[in-house]
Amino acid sequence: MSKEQRAPARQRPDPTAWVDLHGNYLFRFAALRLRDRTVAEDIVQETLLSALQTYHTFEGRGSERTWLTGILKHKVMDYYRRVHRETPVSQLEGESFEHEELFRQEGQWKDHFEPSRAPVDWHADPAELLQQSEFWKVFNQCLSPLPERIANAFTLREVDGHSSEEICELLSISTNNLWVMLYRARTHLRRCLELNWFKRQPEKS
Amino acid sequence: MADGFYDRTIHAVRYFLLRRLPPCKAMAPLMSESLERPLTLRERVKLKLHLWICIWCVWYLEHLRLLRATIGARSTQAAGEDEVSPDISLTVEASERIKEALKRSAG
Repeated sequence: MSKEQRAPARQRPDPTAWVDLHGNYLFRFAALRLRDRTVAEDIVQETLLSALQTYHTFEGRGSERTWLTGILKHKVMDYYRRVHRETPVSQLEGESFEHEELFRQEGQWKDHFEPSRAPVDWHADPAELLQQSEFWKVFNQCLSPLPERIANAFTLREVDGHSSEEICELLSISTNNLWVMLYRARTHLRRCLELNWFKRQPEKS
Repeated sequence: MADGFYDRTIHAVRYFLLRRLPPCKAMAPLMSESLERPLTLRERVKLKLHLWICIWCVWYLEHLRLLRATIGARSTQAAGEDEVSPDISLTVEASERIKEALKRSAG
């Protein structure tokens, strides 16, 4: 590696420029994973502070943004770990998301008796949904009533694609716990999106 | 005539299975778990049979997959330049606060 290529890494970092250049990106990354704005802001700040202290390890490998995002990822994980170690899983957590109301006594979806409760037929194209910011607004609204740990489990699994083992370690739960939580989160979201998004969309003919 | 008989038989078989197989309530968690781990042969057979008689569960499973695909697509995009949620951005106050903290730490 030539001296010219290494040069930028030796420069003193300009952390305030980081805020202008990458602040929004990092914040969005954090906000997608932590539902609380203030928490996301704090994590971004923590990330940049820790980046400032460990700048000598950066050495200009890869882009600054990738490096900062890497630190941010760790900070988010640490946050999950901290929060969930302090609050042990309670038996009651998420009980209101057991969805008993969606089934008949015999365990079938409430179908012909209560058409409003059973899943209805809707199709959608992920690529198309992706472009609709209105959809994501509804999505976030649907996510918000879920208990913190369930929402985090769902985010870690679906947004970040973490393995079950990693998530269980982070959230201090068992694999079975995780599966139940994911089931509750999915059933709730599916239902909520059906009511608030898909049924409201005009039928495609 | 033959078709009518065939349809009635199929209907009877479906109805028979519907009454005797585990209900939707037991299948829904299993469908969610099918996104998490490979199902056992026994579970796969149970689910296949159930999906054959229950259109609601077919939709349910389809929606779970759609959810995963959509969220997955979003997070891949968010890793690059994310323009999906332009409303999510750092407030001016927050940026100023962070800059202050950085200056204090640097100086």
